Amino acid sequence: MKISLFLIALFTAPFLTACAEVQPWERGNLAKPQMALDPYPLQSELRGHSYGAREAAGAGNAGTGGGCGCY
Amino acid sequence: MLAPGAVVAVIKAEKMVNPGLQALTAAALMLPGLVNSTANAADGDEFNFQYGRYEESARDLNGVKSQYKPITVDSLHSGGKVNLTDRIKFAFNFIQDTWSGATPITTAPSGRQGNQPYRQFGTVAGASPYIQTGGDGIETNTVYFDRDLKPLLVDPDSLFSDVTSLGQDRKLVHTMSTASPETRKEGNFKLSYEWDEAAVDIGGGISVEHDYESRFGNAGVRLDFNQKRTTLNAGLSYTNSDSFARLSDHFTKPYLNYIAYQSQLKPVTKDQSGDTQILGKRDDWGGNLGLTQVVNKDALFKLGIGFTHSQGYLENPYKAVTAFFIQPVGLPSLGEFSSTIPFVGIGKAFLEQRPDYRNQWIFSTGWVQHINPLDAAFHFDYRFFHDDWGINAHTFEGDWVQPLGAGWSITPRVRYYSQSAADFYHPYLIVGPSADPGNANLASDNAKLPSAFSSDHRLSGYGALSGGIMLSKQFSKGIRLDAGFEYYTHQGDLKLGGGGEADYADFNYYVANATLNVNLTTLGRSLADDPHAHHRHHSHHHGAPLPAGLMFGHVMSTPGDVMVGYRYMYSRQDGDMLYAGKTVSDRAIVDNGCIENGGTCRTVPEFMNMHMHMLDIMYAATDWLNLMVMPQFMDMDMNARPLSGITPAASGAVDHLHGGHDTGAVGDTGMYALVKLFQTEGHQINMGLGVTAPTGKVDIKLNRMHKFDSGYIHYGMQLGSGTWDFKPSLTYTGQASDWSWGAQVSGTKRLEARNSVGFALGDAVQSTAWGSYNVLDWLAASVRGIYTAQGAIKGGFQALPGDCAINYNQNVVQPCVDINPKGGSMDNPKNYGGHYWDVGFGLNAMIPDGAFAGHNFSVEWLQPVEDNVNGYQLERSGTLNATWMYAF
Repeated sequence: MKISLFLIALFTAPFLTACAEVQPWERGNLAKPQMALDPYPLQSELRGHSYGAREAAGAGNAGTGGGCGCY
Repeated sequence: MLAPGAVVAVIKAEKMVNPGLQALTAAALMLPGLVNSTANAADGDEFNFQYGRYEESARDLNGVKSQYKPITVDSLHSGGKVNLTDRIKFAFNFIQDTWSGATPITTAPSGRQGNQPYRQFGTVAGASPYIQTGGDGIETNTVYFDRDLKPLLVDPDSLFSDVTSLGQDRKLVHTMSTASPETRKEGNFKLSYEWDEAAVDIGGGISVEHDYESRFGNAGVRLDFNQKRTTLNAGLSYTNSDSFARLSDHFTKPYLNYIAYQSQLKPVTKDQSGDTQILGKRDDWGGNLGLTQVVNKDALFKLGIGFTHSQGYLENPYKAVTAFFIQPVGLPSLGEFSSTIPFVGIGKAFLEQRPDYRNQWIFSTGWVQHINPLDAAFHFDYRFFHDDWGINAHTFEGDWVQPLGAGWSITPRVRYYSQSAADFYHPYLIVGPSADPGNANLASDNAKLPSAFSSDHRLSGYGALSGGIMLSKQFSKGIRLDAGFEYYTHQGDLKLGGGGEADYADFNYYVANATLNVNLTTLGRSLADDPHAHHRHHSHHHGAPLPAGLMFGHVMSTPGDVMVGYRYMYSRQDGDMLYAGKTVSDRAIVDNGCIENGGTCRTVPEFMNMHMHMLDIMYAATDWLNLMVMPQFMDMDMNARPLSGITPAASGAVDHLHGGHDTGAVGDTGMYALVKLFQTEGHQINMGLGVTAPTGKVDIKLNRMHKFDSGYIHYGMQLGSGTWDFKPSLTYTGQASDWSWGAQVSGTKRLEARNSVGFALGDAVQSTAWGSYNVLDWLAASVRGIYTAQGAIKGGFQALPGDCAINYNQNVVQPCVDINPKGGSMDNPKNYGGHYWDVGFGLNAMIPDGAFAGHNFSVEWLQPVEDNVNGYQLERSGTLNATWMYAF
């Protein structure tokens, strides 16, 4: 659990630093397809389905289907 | 009604759009998408199709080779997104998985011998699952233990005198079992409404498999702040699921303790197997909150938290836990003796029991960084998971999306996952003595067990490392092809901080995918610059509307044009058994239906369903030549029934009567050239020349059961022809005002005499003629007649040596030279093909405007009129064809 708290703190830290003002016309890079939060959602779904059938933390997909995965 | 002048004015206004202004507008259009959640990441109309393949490595069974192949899963995903209006979006998906192969059902020290090797023709051919209680005696269902209750290996020669130890048994082994191929199908949708700085969505769907069904719904809201630098997401979801897992009477039930589920057991009524099933209900409620923040002009940050509460039957019905009931050596109940070993444990298998509720929390965070010098994007994600079963898990994932120019991009990816074990996870249990060591189902045994226990390796402590690569190519016209591969290794040793499960539970898998993505909005944008835009939509279907079931009827005449289509076909057989077009009695089938297989018939199909999904991609190379590729995805299911008049077998398994069979995966792949031979006003003649490549499997086998093998599943359930096939066609179409008509002759000629397993499907010829009338501007109704002739199967499955159940008695098993099934009418190659007449009724819609403008939808029902079958076959009930096409 200690490790977990440390990791949470580590990955939350960047958020606490102030964010720069980014005007709409400065968002060219952010709008590129490679910058999408998930550039390849279909593949993510397929990989996620495999993880979900093989890992205990695969849940959290409630409400999005996926079946039993009972193999 | 508009005056003609008004139309001209509109066209002129469009032409006057300032190109600079248009570019700015396009840039602005892209902005709303940039901070959206994945659920609404891409704007615009889209069609996508994905095929995925999962394949697992064989498990380490302490030197024994399982008879079963490792698990494989074939997945199909097709979906679309449509802007119904500027603000309303609709997304829908169809997902299908077919899996088969071996999976662990329980775990025990190696001395338990949970996988029993069997020999055929003098060599070890494989190993069968073995979890029997009692019966065969002390050499198989007992494990000896030392004073510290550590399992021991013992000298097998000493078992019937003074049992001696060979030292500690340090090796645990999974017992591997399998189910025949099974298919899951899921449909889901999401409807969303967008404001300038907010959106709401609702979604839902259903997932159906033989033994599990779940229905789900969800709702979400998105709010943008700070000129869209900050986005908040919130969502709620609910899933309601039912399990109905079959405990096969001849295979599972005698060996397992299922007393804990006594109140949930119900007999299976939909077939004659006499099996029992566990009925379980489950509810899942979920909620999540997410935040996405633009950090600077090159970076995004995201943060999320999720909670899921699950309640009900949370077990995996196919997992058992082995419990050893410890007693001092030398009690009269077993009759063994040892002067040195203190304890003996009698192994018994129990269906696993998990708590009836589970609360799960997920905390996630991520960073997306643009790397300016390389124009790449680096994605990093971390997830922490915690539940009240005692599991903590960490996931780290990094992707590097690197555009390479010319539309190519490459994405290497690494992922690391680690979890601790559930509180109630035990590879096996050691408990007090049993009142009756030989009894598999004893209530007093259950009272000695903990309240929850599982040996499912998914609940053990381990780590998993995976890495992969994605290659993506964006073609012009909004078409993108992606291919991906990922390799995954699950190892106890990889657990964060150590202390994971031993290496017996390690395994690896790979998952590969190929994806086609068509962005229809990109097309729309490019058309805005095209002075001919207003004419183009009409040019797509200058040809007549065609019935949905007809292929190769249309040649595109604008070089460079592309058409994407999706064809679905469903056909069913569930009528009477026929002989030469007439209903036939069971007696006649018993006597005559299987003569070519050297015996009497015992079973016939009760029903058979076939679903075919085809992707249709066509490219106009010149104004007279079109090239076409058609990958196919098939899935089939059927059940058999015993013929009246046969002596029933002691076990239905010998006749494969245990609830039906499924198969499914990639079918044969077609490649065609369409040539326009002749065209004049209102008349056109096309010729199609093509082949299908044998990409569909023809060697799918039934499982070995009860120590006997079962051979190839019958011809009609195999997924392809197994041969290269030549497919010519000649089509005439005509059109005059609201009427259109046509005729086609097409054929299938097998280019090889036999496929890799010894047979060739019969050659076929089909001829058809139709008439169609435009009842509305955009809607045509058609009627057509179809005549099909197909030959019987040539050759037959090559002989497969193995263990046969002699005279359909599973207790008399002997090696034999051919184990292929012979007692079903569908196992006889002569009972295939015939002469058929059908009448088709169809509708064809060419959507003129609105969200689906330019899309073509058609459906057709084919009603069988005459089935003049070869030999003995099940009557056809009909075929449904549904197609979607879009040309650009």
